[in-house]
Amino acid sequence: MKSPSDNVFPKQVKVLVCQGTGCTSSKSEQVREALEAGVKAAGLKDVVIDFTGCHGFCQQGPIAVVEPDGIFYTHVKPEDAAEIVTSHLAGGKPVERLFYKDPVTGEPIASYHKIKFYMKQQRLILRNCGHINPEKIDDYIAADGYKALQKVLTTMTPKQVIDEVKKSGLRGRGGAGFSTGMKWELCAIEPGPKKYMICNADEGDPGAFMDRSTMEGDPHTVIEGLIIAAYAIGADEGYIYCRAEYPLAIKRLYIAIQQAEERGYLGEKICGTNFSMKIHVKEGAGAFVCGEETALMASIEGRRGMPSPRPPFPAQSGLWGKPSTINNVKSLASIPVILNKGADWYASIGTGKSKGTTVFALTGKIANSGLVEVPLGTKLRDIIFEIGGGIPKGKKFKAVQTGGPSGGCLPASFLNSSVDYETLAQAGSIIGSGGMVVLDEDNCMVDMAKYFLSFTQLESCGKCIQCRWGTKQMLDVLTDITNGKGRPGDIDFLLELSKAVAVGSRCGLGQTAPTPVISTIRYFRDEYEQHVKKHHCPAAVCKGIVTAPCTHTCPANVDVPRYIRAISDGDIEKGLDIIRERIPFPAVCGYVCVHPCESRCRRGQLDQAIAIRALKGYIYDNAKNKSPKPKTALPSGKKVAVVGSGPAGLTAAYYLAKLGGHAVTVYEALPQAGGMMRVGIPRYRLPADVLDAEINYIKAAGVTVMTGVKIATIEELKAQGYDAVFLAVGSHNGSKMRVPGEELPGVVDGVTMLRDVALGKKVTVGSRVAVVGGGNSAMDAARTSRRLGAKEVTVIYRRTQNEMPANAEEVQEAMEEGIKFEFLANPSRIDKNGSSLRITCVRMRLGDEIDESGRRRPVIMEGADFEKDFDTVIPAIGQVTDLSPAITVDRAKNGNITANPDTLVTNITGVYAGGDAVTGPDSVIRAIAAGRLAAESIDKYLGGKGNIEEKFTTPEKAEPYVAEEGGVEKRQEIPLANAATRVKNFNRTELGYTKALAETECSRCLRCDLEERDED
Amino acid sequence: MSVNELGTKSQKADAAIDTATSTEQEVKIISGTEKILAGFKGDKSEAIPILQHVQQAFGYLPRLSMERIAQFVKVPECTLFGVATFYAQFKLTPTGKNLVRVCRGTACHVKGGSSILKEVEKRLGIKPGQNTPDMEYALETVACIGACALAPTMTINNEVHGEMTAKKVAEFLPDKMEEKHEKP
Repeated sequence: MKSPSDNVFPKQVKVLVCQGTGCTSSKSEQVREALEAGVKAAGLKDVVIDFTGCHGFCQQGPIAVVEPDGIFYTHVKPEDAAEIVTSHLAGGKPVERLFYKDPVTGEPIASYHKIKFYMKQQRLILRNCGHINPEKIDDYIAADGYKALQKVLTTMTPKQVIDEVKKSGLRGRGGAGFSTGMKWELCAIEPGPKKYMICNADEGDPGAFMDRSTMEGDPHTVIEGLIIAAYAIGADEGYIYCRAEYPLAIKRLYIAIQQAEERGYLGEKICGTNFSMKIHVKEGAGAFVCGEETALMASIEGRRGMPSPRPPFPAQSGLWGKPSTINNVKSLASIPVILNKGADWYASIGTGKSKGTTVFALTGKIANSGLVEVPLGTKLRDIIFEIGGGIPKGKKFKAVQTGGPSGGCLPASFLNSSVDYETLAQAGSIIGSGGMVVLDEDNCMVDMAKYFLSFTQLESCGKCIQCRWGTKQMLDVLTDITNGKGRPGDIDFLLELSKAVAVGSRCGLGQTAPTPVISTIRYFRDEYEQHVKKHHCPAAVCKGIVTAPCTHTCPANVDVPRYIRAISDGDIEKGLDIIRERIPFPAVCGYVCVHPCESRCRRGQLDQAIAIRALKGYIYDNAKNKSPKPKTALPSGKKVAVVGSGPAGLTAAYYLAKLGGHAVTVYEALPQAGGMMRVGIPRYRLPADVLDAEINYIKAAGVTVMTGVKIATIEELKAQGYDAVFLAVGSHNGSKMRVPGEELPGVVDGVTMLRDVALGKKVTVGSRVAVVGGGNSAMDAARTSRRLGAKEVTVIYRRTQNEMPANAEEVQEAMEEGIKFEFLANPSRIDKNGSSLRITCVRMRLGDEIDESGRRRPVIMEGADFEKDFDTVIPAIGQVTDLSPAITVDRAKNGNITANPDTLVTNITGVYAGGDAVTGPDSVIRAIAAGRLAAESIDKYLGGKGNIEEKFTTPEKAEPYVAEEGGVEKRQEIPLANAATRVKNFNRTELGYTKALAETECSRCLRCDLEERDED
Repeated sequence: MSVNELGTKSQKADAAIDTATSTEQEVKIISGTEKILAGFKGDKSEAIPILQHVQQAFGYLPRLSMERIAQFVKVPECTLFGVATFYAQFKLTPTGKNLVRVCRGTACHVKGGSSILKEVEKRLGIKPGQNTPDMEYALETVACIGACALAPTMTINNEVHGEMTAKKVAEFLPDKMEEKHEKP
């Protein structure tokens, strides 16, 4: 691929060092100087060192490109210059360690032609950035510079120019998207003689830096566009209004203007024609509102930058009352391309009403952060995943904020949409300046709305009361919400106020200030409601609500930092008491919890999360006093029946008996108590004696557990005098694969198989086992099969390892145990083949479309079916709740019982439901949290206060923790039993932490609970 | 702007009256201002560039300077003050020698910019809009520096520092609080 600078130095090797703002801040000037010195010392005659403007990939800087091969060096330090000179420039061998590394595969890539970030872009506005020296007009001219201007001035009339620009379909790239050609026409028809052509380079949107890069990297394209525009509208004087925060851009503009004047592209009689023009640069003085065109003009005139009413529009009465046109940097930079290559060519790019390319500043939680120029109409998922490289650290995509503070957010449902003016407008956002900030699961949408409003509030000029006061009111409400002081009705109040602010404001700042609020409420209302109703921030961001994200995220709010401190202090017994203050299952959680706490651990932002679950398990293993606490509450005289002895049922029973004083009986249909803890989770994860001890602790609180009793109706319980009923029956029916042959003997549903093993029934799986599914149940089924003697166990999963919902540690341990994985495959039928079962699978590939879970939808590959023989096939693809219709509570179509989310009451008074039976299959900890909520609710119903707070410890004075310099430890992995031997039995796989490992892991904790609570 | 900010701005204007106390200082301000004005024509549209030059030269806009400029561009003093107080760049009181600006742009916010600001505040012992008592440092926040791919960022005297961490702050800024406690 030819580089634009090829014409400048056709035969030489050129090393182009980026000297944009980003790279310069990382000392790229010194890199260039070191290379120059090195080349001179080595006497290399055919090597030229030069500098360029911004490549738009600042995160990889300092960047140095070696042409003509396009070798792309990243993170170049001045010390690296010597090696580049010796190895590459003199010796012909590029320096591999400085290559760009693909963020997903880690593969080093030598040339920018092969870097996905660049390959998928179509750089027209940014065509010269990173390829030419912006301070050398000859570089620009060699890259077809000023050709368009010559063509325009010598062969076209202003009207022809306007018609061409109209035909191209170019729409204003400043944000409003008005037809550029038409904008020029509206000014051209006004009488002269004095008119002004203005370039808006105020780029105030936080998160946008494409105008900066264009001006720093290719100032002449902006100037050429400006001159052509002036010719078209009939102006002879132009202004470039550039914000003061861009000193390098301003410097390069001045240099470029001077050079253009020297060459006759500015001044009198340009290109030998009668057209004259001069351009001034005006610096902004720090006011975002001056990006609005009437405010901008006021600022040029030396006045306060306050917007004025339109009409009159600038085209009729602009700068000093004269007809003026204002265009954005990107719009003007597109003009030379349109006139050189033709309007038809330009209009062939893009879509429907959104023609051409535009530049997005892709920043935030994204692997490849930088400037992305693509045709309008490109799908959002391509920008984020193909070019951007996706979300780092395995986090989930949450939303992308487009258009800066005037724009809205697009959630995952828009990943398959086209990015163009109309689509984004319908979604409640805008293309705007092109800012695209990617947010992941660790970002709070309420916090984002508050952030944007604090920005617009500060930048409001104050003229219109709706904007001046309205934004302040909205900000106050949002601040209260993020501090846990939200009141009911606040969300609707914000929407109402948003309407008033938008309607009552004179300029775009006020009119669009509410957009981020409206947009986030539209797509993330639930997140707002959690803040208001439950003082809960799911992303664990809002400092006014969250101290330690682990405690906050735990569905039962276990005080993690306190028990970690207890370990460090050597007080294991206290640690166990601290855990028991919130949950009655310290061992179960320590051994098998899915640890949502770890996903929000702040240490995880540095390197890896604290092994919170392992530490909990360590406390249980090493505590000497595991015995239960005595019963405390006086009998209430009420009776409660709990149906189901899983974590939800037993937790509710514990609190109702112990703190409520109610007579609680738990009815369990199976011969053993424990629910999924007994029959879903295998013994090598949760030993039977440990589970028995946990259940005994609960029984000691005064709970009666009756096994082998199946409850048929609510009425039978009412007849026995129960005042309240809690249905915690779980979700125990395996989902069907719905393929032919599913009913054949040898196809055993995973839930059934695990239950049979747990209850001591004899289960044979033969030698070859296929497990279908990718969740924890599938891992349980596979690893259990190995322990039952299967030699060859294969897990068949329709997506790839990255998309598996199972705990990463389960998958890892399964692989260690020799379990094979067949990814991107799905059974389509099962047939008998002699004494075996033959599974026919279709091959899948990950399609381009993204589904609601944010993952690429697998697509069947035609004609790639394969067959494999097994002795047993175990589908483990999901579970459904199957409650007998004789129990007359309302349920959803999928069988889940319908219960009020705040109280867990069903449609029948006095009958409550919670856990998997309501949510579908979920985790032990969430079932425990449901049990807690049920106990509060039922206690209140029965006349109690619903208080289930337990205090077993006295709060200690927290010593401020002083971090040690250096010695940053990695996460300590929990020792496991040897993989070869552990598959021969059902003994516990995890061996638990030693004292040394536990204490090292505790020292990694950042003690977030000691952070000063800051209300801002 | 908000009512609170209006209050702060008028306080700033009052303080400006007290700045030039000694005759030496007055002479310096007047001659410095004249030198800058020599490069301009005296047109109203030059108000902002002139103010920018004076801000650059003195670190703030002295009262004496403002009076002279108003005369020069032929606008009432109150109008000129209206312009100066509208734009964030202009200060009516002297500012610290080294200007530290922490970016509070979107990308920087999303990547933890607020903890960088807290760390800087702690280190210098001041809040945005204030100067350290020895007038060595001034602290401001800015909406966007334009180096978003290097978030979170801050500048010291216009030199951009990207991919900041709380630890890195200590490399660039002295511990003003420590110095304060060390003083006898």
